[in-house]
Order: sequence, then structure tokens, then C-alpha cells
Amino acid sequence: MTSGSILRALRPCIGLAIVLTVFALHPQAEGFLSVFNFKIVANQTVIVGLAAIGATFVIVSGGIDLSVGSIIALSSVVCALVLRAEYGVTLAMVSAIIAGCVCGLVNGLMITMLRIAPFVATLGMLGIARGAAKWISGEQKVDVPPAALESGGLQAWMSNRPDPEWLWFSPGVWTTILLALIAAYVLRRSVFGIHVTAIGSNEKTARLCGIRIERTKIAIYSIAGACAGLAGFMLCARLTVGNPTAALGKELDVIAAVVIGGASLAGGQGGVLGSMLGALMMAFLASGCKMTGSATYVQEILIGTIIVVAVSVDVLQRRRA
Amino acid sequence: MVNPSSSGPRPTGAIRRLVTVAVSFACIALGTACSPSPDKTGTGNGAKVRRIAVIPKGTTHEFWKSIHAGALAAGRELGVEVLWQGPIKEDDRNAQIDVVESFLAKKVDGIVIAPLDDKALARPLREASEAGIPVVIIDSDVAWDGRKSFIATDNYKGGALCADALATKLGGKGKVAMLRYIEGSASTEKRERGFLEGMANNHPDIKIVSSNQRGGATTASAVSASETLLGRFGDLQGVFCPNESVTFGMLRALQDSGKAGSIVLVGFDASPKLVEGLAKREIEALAIQDPVKMGELGVRRIVDVLEGRDVPARIDTGVTLVTADSMKEPANARLLDPDLSILDK
Repeated sequence: MTSGSILRALRPCIGLAIVLTVFALHPQAEGFLSVFNFKIVANQTVIVGLAAIGATFVIVSGGIDLSVGSIIALSSVVCALVLRAEYGVTLAMVSAIIAGCVCGLVNGLMITMLRIAPFVATLGMLGIARGAAKWISGEQKVDVPPAALESGGLQAWMSNRPDPEWLWFSPGVWTTILLALIAAYVLRRSVFGIHVTAIGSNEKTARLCGIRIERTKIAIYSIAGACAGLAGFMLCARLTVGNPTAALGKELDVIAAVVIGGASLAGGQGGVLGSMLGALMMAFLASGCKMTGSATYVQEILIGTIIVVAVSVDVLQRRRA
Repeated sequence: MVNPSSSGPRPTGAIRRLVTVAVSFACIALGTACSPSPDKTGTGNGAKVRRIAVIPKGTTHEFWKSIHAGALAAGRELGVEVLWQGPIKEDDRNAQIDVVESFLAKKVDGIVIAPLDDKALARPLREASEAGIPVVIIDSDVAWDGRKSFIATDNYKGGALCADALATKLGGKGKVAMLRYIEGSASTEKRERGFLEGMANNHPDIKIVSSNQRGGATTASAVSASETLLGRFGDLQGVFCPNESVTFGMLRALQDSGKAGSIVLVGFDASPKLVEGLAKREIEALAIQDPVKMGELGVRRIVDVLEGRDVPARIDTGVTLVTADSMKEPANARLLDPDLSILDK
């Protein structure tokens, strides 16, 4: 690693540190630095965090995925419907992931086969997946039957009090951490990861080097879809409801997390762990704003400002380099 | 690194930034060390002021501001601190759960909440109750029996009252439509059921031509849903809307199409624009709840619980049907234009 990339990796840490410090020192936010609040915020990060793992691959490859929020809603509905048909929690999770993966695959095919720009292709999927979610749910929220929630069932995945207790974090948080570590390794060290970065850096050169662009891109968007699908499962576990209108605009939170985490929307740069820190920072910011009793608009303005600051710092660093 | 254009900045810059990082981390350490101190000083001087969290479904609607005013007034009178915090996105169940969890971490003394969803909020509220924080529900019920009290309008009765008002105005016959609010909102669904069953039982000659369309969560979506509805049923004689945003959306659509006043509109809740419509007789009647009383009673009853007094399991805050003729009566005027000046202090 060059010193530049070390600094880029440190940037989200600095952001997180500032957010933590500000709220820790704020007199109104008692309980902010408590262990309990940390557990809660970790849980609140899961949905954006999982989706941001996939989105990091997309953004590093120079693409964008606007369909994340809709895919999360669709797969949360799929999850609830599978549970209502009494197929069990494991199958519900697999179905949610498959539903997400299929949407991602279609994104990938539209981008490569039809040569549609990722922005437009995934904008299409934003509408298609949201519509499909409303369609299969009969335009109603789908309640998960009580039998599926009880003892070690669906709710255990996102419970603030995990069972067994030594787990400390909910299984959803552990899943996110584990997946993030695997994804970080794949993106940095594996051949696939290097191909992803190469496509984002310079697609033409990558093609000349013999990288199979189409295949790689289809894989990238499928992974992103699958991650969003898993996030949908976690949302369903948290709400105990499959909701076709959930996660509206979540894609922007996900993109913000990835960008704050040090990725460049121009492609070729970014890391999964940075994205996780970005997601965590936004969750802490939201939590802190609630605890200090700030109006909701303060939160929205702050997050917007932070995105702009994060990107402009990135631009400044590059210009100096 | 594959990207050939990215190389490290000059070493001096790097060192400077590393110093910044170090300082930041030092700040964290300092922050962690300092954080318990406000607690100590807080409990040091005399009795601790009770903190009651009041959580609305949203913050922008007039209705929630009235609840806020009522809660603040009660809080001031009883000497408790009212913490007001809504979900960052209205209609976002997840965001409201976030708010409940934040208050859990903050260890408030009691929670008064209008749940966005009867199922989704059950888990976090149960967790609050298990952590020793009592919960009083206002406005919309939740599928959980651990709540101390449920303080709300009898929405079913409100819907039936609206059916009577609409039918009376139309002389007992005609074609009417109902534009629903969103899915899964218990209070508006009860009004919708009350309206439909009231019509079916008491006014058999009124034909309901549409009752499956929804206005959605925002005023914008309500306007377009209303336009579509009016376009589809040209011979409509009356409309019922079950909440403020949908009623306003319908009013706007009626005004735009020049049908305001000729199609009989009966709505629910009040806002300055709706009251204006009522005065101009563009709205036939508004079913008015008493949100100020709801917020006030929410805080009062949670304080009762904290002080060990019994509270009733269900409290009806009442619905009043107000028309252009009765809107000037003092009791109705207070309902239509609640005193929100406490919010500015």
C-alpha cells in the first residue's frame, strides 16, 4: 500500500471518530457511548451494511446500483411470503437471497447484453422490483405468522438480546462482519477482485489485458443483488413484516456509506471495510441526533453535508497527489 | 494498486494528516473518559426530573404538532421533561423502531408512542417494557398487550359518523367513493371500515363505486390518486377521505377540476387549508379528533403509571363532526385551530 491508500483507508475512521467524539461530549446524549447503544447501532447498521458490501463491488467497478432499496423491499416480501407458507426460516432466507440475486443478474444482463448504462438499467430495476414487491404482496404488508417468530426463529436474527447471550451481537451483525471480511479479502486479493478494480480503473485497458468484462460485470451485479436480498431478509426479521414500501431511498444511504468509506464514483477505488465504517458512521450520526433530540431535518442536512465533505476531501487529495 | 494515477501525497502532508488522526483518537479517548460526568452532576442536585419520550408517526403533519403541544402542556404542568422525536422518514417502520431503540439506550422513564405499524413496533416496545420502561399507546393500536393504556379516537365510530353526514347531504342516495390512506395504518383502516359498514347498514341506496384506491403517505401522492379517481368516475356525487393528507389531496384535485363544492367531500382531521375549504363550503364536513387532548392524556397517564396509580386500559378522546355552520362555536373553534403557541417557546 502507498501512503495515499493508507490515508484513504483512514478517512472513514477519522469521520467515525469525529462523530463519536462530538456526541460523547454532548451533554444531552447520555447513554450514547454505552455498550447497549453500541449493540443497538450495530444492529441498525446491518441493513445498509449488507447492501453496501455488494454496492462496493459495483462502485469500484465504475458502476452504480440504484435498485438496492427496491430489491430489499422485494426480498423482505418474498421472505414473509415463504414464512407464511410455512417453509421455515432457512428457506425464507435462501429465497430472499435468490430473489435479490435474480434482480442483480437482470441488472447485469441489461448492462452487458443491452449495453444500457448502469444508472439507467438499475433505475429501471428500481421501478420493476418495487412494482413486483407490491404485486406479489397484493399491495399490502405481509405479516409473518407468529409461529415463525417464536424461539430461535426469524426474530432471533436481529434481536438486540441474542440467544445465547455470549454472542453479544445479534446473528445479523455477525453475518455482516463475516461477509464484510470475506468480501474485503476477495476485492483486495482474489483474481476476481483485481478484475473488478481493473474494470473500474480503465475498462478499455482491462479488456485489452484479456479480462472478460461482461462475465465479471454480470457477477458483480448478481453479488450486489444477493447482498441486497440478504439485507431484505434482515429487514423482515427486524420488522416481522414484509413491507413492499419499505427501504424507500435506501440505495442513496448505501451509496453514501460506500462513498464516505473512501470509494470513488469514478471507479477503481474503494474498500469493503471502508464502506462498513461509512455505514457505521451514518448509523451513529442518526443515533446521536435522536439522542440529542435534534429535529429530523438536522440529521438529513448533516448526512448530506458529510457526503459532500467526504467526496471533496477525496478530490483534494487526488489533485495534490 | 491497479489505478496508475493514484500515488501517495507528499510526505509532509501525510505526516500532518497522521497528526490529525492521532488528535482525533485522543479526542475519542477523552470523550469516553468524560462521558459519565454529566450523569453525576445530573443526579447531584435534588430530585431527578422524569423524562418522557413522545414518539409520533411523523413530524410534519398538523395533527402531530397538536399532539406535541398537548404533551408539552401536560409535561410543563406535571414537571416532567417531554422528549419529542419522530422517525426521520414518515411511513418508515424501520425508522420509528430506530427512535424507540435510541430512547431505550437513553433510558427514559416512560414512552408515549403512536405506532406506525401494529405488528412491527411490537418487538421494540416489548423490549422497552422488559427493560422497565412503561409504554402508553396513542392514536393507533399495537398488537401487544403489555401496553399500560391505549388513548385514541374511536375511529370506527368516526368513520360511521362521516357516512351519516355524507348520506344526509346527498338525501340518502347517490354514487360515492372512498379514497384510502396507506396499508397497515390501524387507525385509518378502522375509519374506512366504519364508513363502509355505516353506509351498508344505514344507507342502502348509496352506491360505493370505488373503495380500493389509496392516497399514499404524502400530499403529492394523494393529489394524483384523487385526480385519477375523479377522472375515472365522472358522475361521482360524494367522497370520503380518512385523514388529513388524503382529504387535502382530494380538496386540491376538486379545486383544480372545478368540482369543489359540487362533489360533497367529507374528510377527517383539520389543518388551516382544510378549515379554509370548510368555510368556503368546498368541504361539507370534517370529522375532528382531539389530538391536543391525546398528547396531553398520553403524558398524564404515563406519569400516573410511574407514580403507581391505576390507569384505564382504553380511553376514547372523541370525534366531533364540524360543518361550515357549526365551525364558529367555541368548542369546535378550539378543535379546528388548536393553540400551538407552546411549541414556539
